[in-house]
Amino acid sequence: MNIHAYEKLWLIAALVLIVGFIVTITYGSVGLGIAMIDDSEDAIEPSELSEDERFSDPRVEQVGENEYEAYVVAQTFIFQPDPIEVPENSEVTFYVTSPDVIHSFSVVGTNINTMVIPGEVSTMTAEFDEPEEYGIICNEYCGADHHNMEGELHVLPEDEFDMTELSVEAPDEVELGDEAAFDVSVENGQLDDLETTIELEVGDETLTEDVTVAGDSTEETTLTVDTDDLGEGDHDWTVTVDDHDESGTLSVVEELDEGDDDE
Amino acid sequence: MRLSKGGLLVVLALLTPLLVELRVVAGWLNVELSVAQTVLIGLVLVGMVLAYAFWPESDKGSQTEGNATSADRLSKSD
Amino acid sequence: MSETYIDRFPAEAKVIRSAFYGSFLALALGGLFGIIQTLHRTGYYRFIPSEDYYTVLTAHGVFLVISFTIFFLVGVFTWAITTSLDREVEDIRFTWAWYGLMAIGITITGIAILAGFTDATDISASVLFTFYAPLQAHPMFYLGLVLFVVGTWLAGADWFRSWLAWKKENPDERIPLPTFMVLTTMIMWYIATLGVAVAILLFLLPWSLGLIDNVNPTLTRTLFWFFGHPVVYFWLMPAYMMWYIMLPKVSGGKLFSDPLARVVFVLFLVLSVPTGIHHQYLDPGIAEGFKFIAMTNTMFLLLPSFLTAFTVVASMEHGARQRGGTGYFGWLKALPWRDPVFAGMALAGLMFAAAGFSGMVNAGMNINYLVHNTFWVVGHFHLTVGTAVALTFMAVTYWFLPQITGKALWNRSVGLAQVVTWFVGMTFMSNAMHRAGLLGIPRRTAEPLYENFEFDAAVGSVGELQAQIALGGLLLSVSLLLFFANVIGTVLNDRSDSLPANEYAGTLSGPEDAPLVLDNLKLWTGIAIVLVIFAYTFPLLSIIGRGGLFGPDIIEFVPISVDTLPVVIGAIELVVTDALASAADTAVATVSVVMR
Repeated sequence: MNIHAYEKLWLIAALVLIVGFIVTITYGSVGLGIAMIDDSEDAIEPSELSEDERFSDPRVEQVGENEYEAYVVAQTFIFQPDPIEVPENSEVTFYVTSPDVIHSFSVVGTNINTMVIPGEVSTMTAEFDEPEEYGIICNEYCGADHHNMEGELHVLPEDEFDMTELSVEAPDEVELGDEAAFDVSVENGQLDDLETTIELEVGDETLTEDVTVAGDSTEETTLTVDTDDLGEGDHDWTVTVDDHDESGTLSVVEELDEGDDDE
Repeated sequence: MRLSKGGLLVVLALLTPLLVELRVVAGWLNVELSVAQTVLIGLVLVGMVLAYAFWPESDKGSQTEGNATSADRLSKSD
Repeated sequence: MSETYIDRFPAEAKVIRSAFYGSFLALALGGLFGIIQTLHRTGYYRFIPSEDYYTVLTAHGVFLVISFTIFFLVGVFTWAITTSLDREVEDIRFTWAWYGLMAIGITITGIAILAGFTDATDISASVLFTFYAPLQAHPMFYLGLVLFVVGTWLAGADWFRSWLAWKKENPDERIPLPTFMVLTTMIMWYIATLGVAVAILLFLLPWSLGLIDNVNPTLTRTLFWFFGHPVVYFWLMPAYMMWYIMLPKVSGGKLFSDPLARVVFVLFLVLSVPTGIHHQYLDPGIAEGFKFIAMTNTMFLLLPSFLTAFTVVASMEHGARQRGGTGYFGWLKALPWRDPVFAGMALAGLMFAAAGFSGMVNAGMNINYLVHNTFWVVGHFHLTVGTAVALTFMAVTYWFLPQITGKALWNRSVGLAQVVTWFVGMTFMSNAMHRAGLLGIPRRTAEPLYENFEFDAAVGSVGELQAQIALGGLLLSVSLLLFFANVIGTVLNDRSDSLPANEYAGTLSGPEDAPLVLDNLKLWTGIAIVLVIFAYTFPLLSIIGRGGLFGPDIIEFVPISVDTLPVVIGAIELVVTDALASAADTAVATVSVVMR
């Protein structure tokens, strides 16, 4: 076959370029310690997400010092949880799935971009160094409201990040002279112990209690207030733990209509 | 004319990708060009191309380089 | 008087005219939807609810990349086979039959898509060109595509028939280059369409009819991309054919090398299909190793395009020097830039070079993460199918239309203005699309701006990018109007006596220089099949193993619910009969317009 000299040169140059592309991309894909999206997670039943430990309750969990896992569900037309909150200087592994159609999970301005296919779980690990707020979008057409499907990823400064959850059970009405009992539950989602103070303000009274909540566990305690100190009437109360609070109103009455039930 | 009419049209068209990318390339060199500035540069370049195309040839009555189509050979090429 | 195509092959010219007119109708509709989308997305003019945008987008995609491109292809390939073998088709009725099947098929699909605009029926197919399950379209959508693809299979059979009949009478001759290109392209198509045929016939169509409950989304998606990547070469190879056998002649010269042209087409036959997984780099459920194989195969697909670049430019240079051009670069001035057939193809080829490199970015397994499903991808394919293919098709129409109608082109200057406007418009639009994609702005969305965050532009602003896209889109629409003015003007013109003869480029290095092995189609087909088996057997088995052949149960999310089978079948019968009736009317109307 008669191949012109220039053409031979061109052919060789083309092949060198092609091999060069393959080598650099291979290096970029595996040599730098980056992992591509693949089939490492098991398949899953999309109609049974409520029975899956991870996706029945989409959330962020701490699994090591500076290591977190985020369980995300993408469905028409929202992302759960929203916003996803993680601390700075963390390594977060995302697990994402969908119960209905193909979506994507794409963090704008980053290379965190994956398809989310019902029946499969996408997993990828990312490092977050600086505090930042990112938008999350779905860039795979998923239906009529596809263009409104968005979420947020917040990378919070150390001092603003916690995984504390506060819940309070308090009565609505208490008879004058009785004690009002506030059941306070503090859940610590992080691995390190949480040393904090529970502060209860009701009416003019303030009570505090120091608690230490062990990693990944919950502390429950009850603060009691003598209603004689409060007097009759409606009193607003607030329970505060770090940046979290819960409020309500306590009514102190002369006589309760039915028994002394706390509610 | 140093360029045929068709050739001139194509050269002007080729200025488009040049100008469009100019802002990006300038950005790499930390030079910020606004849209207005890019349009201005574009007009200058267009002017330069037109000047080149219409500048009279150095020797009078010279042939333009074989850029006539077969239909043109029936009429005077410009 | 030189013999034009219509003089030599009047019956075939009629089929080609029908194919082209169908193609242009699709182009017009697709273009109309395109400008609607452009103005809606960029926020300049929204007159439809954003929900309907996706119906528009489905129509734009299907009409342009299935109907416009493939009807044009069958027209050009019919021309190529008959001209290069100097032989009428074996049975013109068979030719009309496959054309009719294609027309009926795409009409049915088109109706299913357009019905999505109205609430009067439950029919819709707003699933986009890729129709990923679990999104579901009306059964008509899938049925129409099946008929269309079967039509193309029969078209290939028609051309193979012609070649085999010719071979019997010419046993010692090399396959003429145009025929060689047709045959290799069609073999590639047969292999490629297997994937989408299985996806539709075994899964999506029965599912949309309610015959099966579920499908495996990863499986149908993978089968689509089995087809989805080689289809771009089905669009590209006719354009390459034009660059190889028309462009050199229009440049005033000959094709630099016939053997290398054959090599290029063989490479496409062999490499086009086992690359589809590069559209699925971000899919869970597919192992990294399979993606890697797809990546390396894809990179080698650069080779035939590189070879084409060399041959095309060398042929142009040869032509220019025949016309008197001199100097290292001065010969460029000697090319027939006033000729829209030349200028269009040259500009299309130039744009394709840029497109190829953005394609390489897409093919990079790691870089892909930055651009997947962003507007960058849209910028890329508007350069490839939108310019390299579409602009080439429009440019060669200025040569073909006179050949198949016997009428002179209405206005060459308008033609030149048309191709240049397309190039300029596409530069603006595609450049802005690429840059927007790099910011993360998504594709396939009615409203690309979001409430809770902003996109950060690197150069200029997002608003400027939107404006540039709208400007480009408007210029493209103007270009289309110029194109249709010329088509209509030509068809309405009088018959001409001074048209050039029907011929294609000669060669500097001819088929006699090509090793015989290149013409061994069976060998190359075998290799292509082996590569496909390597690339796809394990991934497909793995996907089926993970999710089952018919997939897991999924929460129903379908825009229409198909409750009872008999009702559906009745509905299909009604609609299909209507569609056939109106398609027949259209065919009759077209034929009568076309008759002189």
